[in-house]
Amino acid sequence: MSPPSRSRFRRANVVGFAVAAVIASARVAEVRLSALLDPDSHQKVGAFVHGLFPPDLSLSFLRVAALAAARTVSIAVVGTVLSIAVALPLGILATATLFRRGPLFESEPRTPGGMLLSSLSALARALLGLLRAVPDLVWALFFVVGVGLGPVAGVLALAVSYGGVLGRVFADLFEDVDLRPLEALHATGATRLQIFLFAIWPQARPSAVAYTLYSFECCVRAAAVLGLVGAGGIGYEIALSMRNFDYGEIVPLVGALLVLVWLTDACSAALRRVMRANAPPGLLGHEHLRQGLPRRASRAIVLGAVAAIVLACTAGVGFFDRDAFDTSTVSRMAHFARGLFPPDLTPAFLRTVLEPVVRTLGISVIGTLLGVVIGALLGIPATAAHAEDDPSRGVAWLVRLALRRLCRIALSLLRAIPEVLWVLVFILAVGLGPFAGALALGVHTGGVLGKLYADTFEEVSPLPLRGLRATGATPLQILLWGAWPEARRMLISYTMLRWEMNLRTSTVVGIAGGGGIGIALYNTMQLGFYPQMATLTLTVYLLVAATGWIGDAIRRSFAPASHNVRRGRRRPRPTTRRPRESANR
Amino acid sequence: MIYRLDAVGKVYPSRRGGVTSLAGVGFDIAKGERVAVIGPSGAGKTTLFRLLNGTLRPSSGTLRFHNEDVAAFSPRQARAMRRRIGTIHQQSLLVPSLTVLENTLCGALGAWSLLHAVRTAFSPAGADTQRAMAALAQVGLVDKRDARADELSGGQQQRVAIARLVMQAPEVILADEPFAALDPALTDAIAQLLLGLAGTGRTLVCTLHDVERALALFPRVIGLRGGRVAFDMPSNAISQGMLDELYRGAPGEPADAAPSPSAREPAVAF
Repeated sequence: MSPPSRSRFRRANVVGFAVAAVIASARVAEVRLSALLDPDSHQKVGAFVHGLFPPDLSLSFLRVAALAAARTVSIAVVGTVLSIAVALPLGILATATLFRRGPLFESEPRTPGGMLLSSLSALARALLGLLRAVPDLVWALFFVVGVGLGPVAGVLALAVSYGGVLGRVFADLFEDVDLRPLEALHATGATRLQIFLFAIWPQARPSAVAYTLYSFECCVRAAAVLGLVGAGGIGYEIALSMRNFDYGEIVPLVGALLVLVWLTDACSAALRRVMRANAPPGLLGHEHLRQGLPRRASRAIVLGAVAAIVLACTAGVGFFDRDAFDTSTVSRMAHFARGLFPPDLTPAFLRTVLEPVVRTLGISVIGTLLGVVIGALLGIPATAAHAEDDPSRGVAWLVRLALRRLCRIALSLLRAIPEVLWVLVFILAVGLGPFAGALALGVHTGGVLGKLYADTFEEVSPLPLRGLRATGATPLQILLWGAWPEARRMLISYTMLRWEMNLRTSTVVGIAGGGGIGIALYNTMQLGFYPQMATLTLTVYLLVAATGWIGDAIRRSFAPASHNVRRGRRRPRPTTRRPRESANR
Repeated sequence: MIYRLDAVGKVYPSRRGGVTSLAGVGFDIAKGERVAVIGPSGAGKTTLFRLLNGTLRPSSGTLRFHNEDVAAFSPRQARAMRRRIGTIHQQSLLVPSLTVLENTLCGALGAWSLLHAVRTAFSPAGADTQRAMAALAQVGLVDKRDARADELSGGQQQRVAIARLVMQAPEVILADEPFAALDPALTDAIAQLLLGLAGTGRTLVCTLHDVERALALFPRVIGLRGGRVAFDMPSNAISQGMLDELYRGAPGEPADAAPSPSAREPAVAF
């Protein structure tokens, strides 16, 4: 077979497989287009939208919303601090170039202690993988059982799950530094922790700080959502209002959430600028700081402010309350932890696990597909590249510009409301079940992907596009023939990344009533079937790990020589710019 | 005796059984000696260098440092040995994002506890800073103390590496091709610095490409060829014939023109 026909054959295979997968997913996700056209569901959604107005803007309720927002921020701050406390030691231990391979390791004598250390290092990496793969909402369920309802459970859930995310990123960053200075310090007789302090950390610091700030942004969003399972904060208030049909309270609460998210992003962007977190080495990123306050004084001020904020938040979350950690909590947690072992691995139970797993997979596929459609529909008009340097500046140009702004706003709204809240809305429309989950996932994913698509198209080099325009091509033709071939690789890799994340999220969406493995997990927890809960959690972990592997394989086959999607590395590297992690929002 | 090598061999593992880099190398180096190691590329100079600085272990034979067998060292002892040996590389291996002063301070890491190191990372103690500044004064870079290492030129970076060495205050200085990346004028300046440091009772071992400089600056020269010691004698006893032999083409191949001792860069056969 000649090469072109073989590749065509392969492509036909891939397309056929994809279509079959989508049809199967649509079946298991119980997609019912009729439900969307049903006048009955229209009426329900209409009633909901109608109920949103007038919003409850009474002073007393605004105070409730503000307090809830403050609590959410506190949970996020303390959660982030604890997650760093988890991530830094585990991340250092998991750094292969310090403990497992490379010149440093090879020049050390082989001793039992060294062997133990390198196996501990491998173990730390595996542990980080586990912490990361189990979704934060599932961790929240665990801690709600363990320490009871309330913000402390939310904080611990954030600490564990974002500790896993950050720890893995840290380890990757630490491994990626220039190794030669490490060898030089090693030759002076420095210990490994000293080498870390003086050769690894200075090199990795800008990226590590940028990622930590980004992780804080994620924690704020996550803290809002964790409220839904009883961790307090905005999510809790929203769930309460939904349950009591007080739709008028939804608008101020969601408004508070949006303001909160926006403020966090602005704050972390400002902090990043001050700390020069993204300054590439060698570009004098530190120059600016030195001209300002004396270095030590400004550092002390910043440290003091951060410490005060963290302390206030810790108090606000209730960590210092006498009953937060009394002996009964510890014994309850121990009892719960013991209850999880051994996980229920009887064939009879494993058979019942199969159905929710398939359903969760279906939800994630349909949700991502819907997201791709919405993202493309809104993302293409949101691209500025083919609107901006139109020489005519006529009416058509103005319309395109206005359309671009509108689409950007719509995308950011879709994106800002978490999937779990979308589920609550879609449950009203199509009822409890996987279809509501898939719709919720799709709408949020559409917001994320649309922004990424638009950004990617805008980053395509303008020169070839100008060439095409000179031939008289229309904007759509330019997009198809100029921008698409350039951006294709990035777009596919973003979409695959998002699918992996959606798989994780679809378990979470299930917890809020979207069906699949999430609802099964929630039910076993409610009923106190802890061994089964452990099995389901392990299943989630395996599912997520498998998707990561499949996603990598697909990305590799589409983009064999891609420089930004490296094997086994889930996250794009942050370089000089703000981390391109908006894919995760 | 600082170093005592007895039939030292080094075999790097490879898919086909291993590549022999050194075989049966034996010599002593006494305290205060200045030794140059010369030889064609692939002769095993860098391997020998890494054995001497304790970042590699011999696969056969014994390497003694202060009459103690290096192979039997625990990680802690190996670290203590490295602390007593200062290293200069071909390119200075500074930490690019640290300042010149911070890079200089790094030299003393081996002598510090972890706690002291953590403290130094945030705000170095006055005494340490003074010592580091004295080291920088010795290499003439006091005014660059707050510059980042990656802003410096190659020669300045090499000088910071020497300041780091001064800070470390080792009893042995090992230099691996310290002049390879420098132009002739800088080479003289750096060579003076290194020899000046070695003049204070320290031992200096230097691998060199530059035969002329090796003969002129070092009283003792060891010639390596194919992983074996070809000669080891005072530099004034070395004849042109011995150098021709050292730099001759690989066995079985037609001989290349051997460099005269005055050639700046020896012609290398492989």
